[in-house]
Amino acid sequence: MAVEGVVAAMDPAGLKAIGAGIAVGLTGIASGIAEKDIGSAAIGAMAENEGLFGKGLILTVIPETIVIFGLVVALLIK
Amino acid sequence: MLSPKQMSRVTIVGHKTIMEQTVNALHGINSFHIEDYNDEELGLKIGKSFENADDVSSKLIKIRSISSFLGIKKTDVGKQNVESLFKELDTKLVELDDEVSKRTDRKNEIENHLKELDALNKELQPFITIPLDLDQYSGYENLAVFSGVVKGDIEFKLSSITKSYELFSDARSGTIVLFVLKEHADAVSDILPEFAFKELRVPEISGLPADLLKKIREDIVNSQNDIQSLNAEIESLRLKYSDFILASDELLSIEAQKSEVPLRVATSEHTFMMDGWVPNEDYDMLVSTVENATNGRAFISRTAVTREEDSIVPIKYDNPKISRPFEEIMNLYSRPRYSEIDPTSLIFITFPLFYGMILGDIGYAVILMGLALGIKKLVKSDAVKPLMNILIYCQISTLIFGVLYGEFLGFPLASLHTEHGIVAGLIPGFETINLFASPFATEMITYPVHRTHLVMTMIVVTALIGVVHINIGYLLGFVNERRKHGIVAAMLEKGSWLVIELGILLLALGYAGYIPSAVGIAVFLIGFVMLLKGEGIKGPIELPALLSNSLSYTRIIAVGLSSIYIASTVNQIAFEMVMPKSFGLMTIFAILIFLFGHALNTVLSIIAPGLHALRLQYVEFFTKFYEGGGIKYNPFGYIRKYTEE
Repeated sequence: MAVEGVVAAMDPAGLKAIGAGIAVGLTGIASGIAEKDIGSAAIGAMAENEGLFGKGLILTVIPETIVIFGLVVALLIK
Repeated sequence: MLSPKQMSRVTIVGHKTIMEQTVNALHGINSFHIEDYNDEELGLKIGKSFENADDVSSKLIKIRSISSFLGIKKTDVGKQNVESLFKELDTKLVELDDEVSKRTDRKNEIENHLKELDALNKELQPFITIPLDLDQYSGYENLAVFSGVVKGDIEFKLSSITKSYELFSDARSGTIVLFVLKEHADAVSDILPEFAFKELRVPEISGLPADLLKKIREDIVNSQNDIQSLNAEIESLRLKYSDFILASDELLSIEAQKSEVPLRVATSEHTFMMDGWVPNEDYDMLVSTVENATNGRAFISRTAVTREEDSIVPIKYDNPKISRPFEEIMNLYSRPRYSEIDPTSLIFITFPLFYGMILGDIGYAVILMGLALGIKKLVKSDAVKPLMNILIYCQISTLIFGVLYGEFLGFPLASLHTEHGIVAGLIPGFETINLFASPFATEMITYPVHRTHLVMTMIVVTALIGVVHINIGYLLGFVNERRKHGIVAAMLEKGSWLVIELGILLLALGYAGYIPSAVGIAVFLIGFVMLLKGEGIKGPIELPALLSNSLSYTRIIAVGLSSIYIASTVNQIAFEMVMPKSFGLMTIFAILIFLFGHALNTVLSIIAPGLHALRLQYVEFFTKFYEGGGIKYNPFGYIRKYTEE
C-alpha cells in the first residue's frame, strides 16, 4: 500500500519536466565536451592564420546541433 | 550581382625608358592588380627598384620615427599640393629633423642627469643627521672609518675593545659613523656583525649632507621644469608640423610603393613586362591613360580569363550598395572563386530573415537599432561601419517579426485565452485573433503568432524553411558545378540530391496511400545510384545530413524561445515577485532588476541570434555549393587623404 501511495504521488507533469531538463542538460554537456576540443584547436589555427576564422567558427559550432536537438526534444516532451 | 566583377588579364610591354611613366600612370588610375612575377625560367629577370628607392625609404623611415616621437595622430586635415610639397620636402625635413633631434638630445641629457641626482639623493639620505663634511670620511693614515647601519647600541661592546673612538650616530635610522685607530679595526669589524651592520657607501663629494641634499632637491625641481618646458616645445612642434608630417608620410609612401614596382615585374636588358588584372569596365581607361603618359610607346594586350586561371583571378565584388555590408560576412568565410556564384546578395536576404525570426521582439529591435545607429555615427572606423549596417538590417527584420509575433521585451502585446486561463497582453483591448487550425499539430494559428503556444507548428515550419534553404543551396551548387565540370557532373553531384529528396517525398505520399510505394522507392534508388557515381562512397555517408541539416533549422524557434523565456523571467521577477504594492525601496530594486536583466538579454540578443543565423549560412547553406578561396583584388594605387595632384 505504501508503495502504491508513493507512485500515485508522482505527478506526470513533474516527470515530464525532469525529462525535459535531462534532455537539455545532457546534450548541453555533450556539446560542450565536443566543442571544447574543436574550439581550442580553432583558436590555435587562428593564431597562425587569422583568415581561418570563418572555417574555425563553422567547425566549432557543428556540435552545437546536439544541444539544439536536445532543446527541441525538451519542447516536444512539454 | 551574383558573380564577381568580370576581369581581363592585361600585359603591358615597353622599353625600360618608359617604365617610370607607365608606373605613374597605373598608380594614378588605381585599378590595375599586379600579378607578381616569380618565374625566372622564361629568361626574364625581376627588375631593380627605381633609383630613388633608397633615398625615399630613408626619408620615409626618418619621417615615421619623427611622427612616432611626436605622437602624430591621423586626423582630418586639409590636403596639400603634391608639387609644392615635393619642392619643400627636403629642406623642411632637414629643418624638422634638426629641431626634433635637438630636443630629444636635450631631453635625454636632462633625464640622465635626473637619474644621477635621484641615486645621489638615495645615497645621502642616511647621513642627513650626521654633522660631518663628507670630506672627513676618508684620507686618514692611522684611523679606520666604519659607516653603515646597525641595530641596537654598540657603545658598550665597543668600549670593551678600546676607549679611544669617535662615534656619530642617528638613533632613528640606525646610521653610525665610527672612527677608531687602525690597530683596533679588525677587532671592531669582528663585533659589528652582531649588530647586523650593513655598510653604506659614502658619496665622493664634499660638503655637509644636509646642505647637499637641499641643493639636490632644488636641482631636481629645476630639471623637471626643464623637461616640462621641453615637452611644451615638442607639443608646439607637433602642432606646427602635423600637417606636413601626415602629407609627406603619404607622399613618400606613394613614392616608395611606385619605386618598388620593378621588383614585381619581369625585365630583360632593355624592356619590361608587367602582368596583371583589370576589371573589364576599366580597361579602356587604362589603355588611354597609359598611352597618353607614354606617347603610345607601351604595348598593351588583353586576354580573356581561362579556366586554368580561375584560382588566381583577383576577386572584386560586384554587389549593389545595399547588400555590400554582407561582403564582410563573405570575407570572414572566404572570398568566392572567379567562376563561382557570389552569394552575398542571398545572404543579404536570408541572414536578417533568420536573425529576425529568432529574435522577433519590438523592444529589442528598437534598442539595438538605436545602439547601431549611435555607434555608426560616433565611430568613424571603416571596419565597424559594415557591421553596424548588418545589425541595422537585422533589426528591421526583427521589428517586422516583432510585430508579427506581438512581443515587446518578452511581454505579449495581445491578450491570449488558453485552457489555463487568460494571459494578459501589454496593450489593453488587443485580443489575439484565431485564424485557422495548424495543419501540423493540434494548435491554432493566431495573430499575433504566440511562439510559446505554437511550438510544434513552429518546429515543423522552421524545418521546412530549412528544406527550402538547403535546396536553394543544391541548386546553386548545380550551377557552380555545371560551370566548372559540365552538366553531367552537376547532375550526378548536386542533381542527385534533388532526385533523392523527390524520392523521399514520393515515398511519403506512397505511405499515405496516394500512389504506390514502388514509385518512391524507384526514384530514391535512381538518386542514390547517381549520388554514388557522382560523389563516391562519401555521398551515401552524407545522406543522413539531409535530415540533420533540416532539423538544424529548428534552432530558429529553439533559440528564439530561450530568448523569450529569459526576457519573461526577468519581467516576472521584477514585476510579480519584487515589485511591492505601494511605492518604496523595493520599487527601485524591481526597476533595477528589470533594467539589468534586459541589458543582459540585449547583449545575448546580438550574440545568440547572430551566431546561429551565421552558422545556418556557413554550415548548412554554404556546404551545399560554396568553395571559396578567391584572392583579394588589390589594385596598385593609393587613396590619397592628405595630398592632391
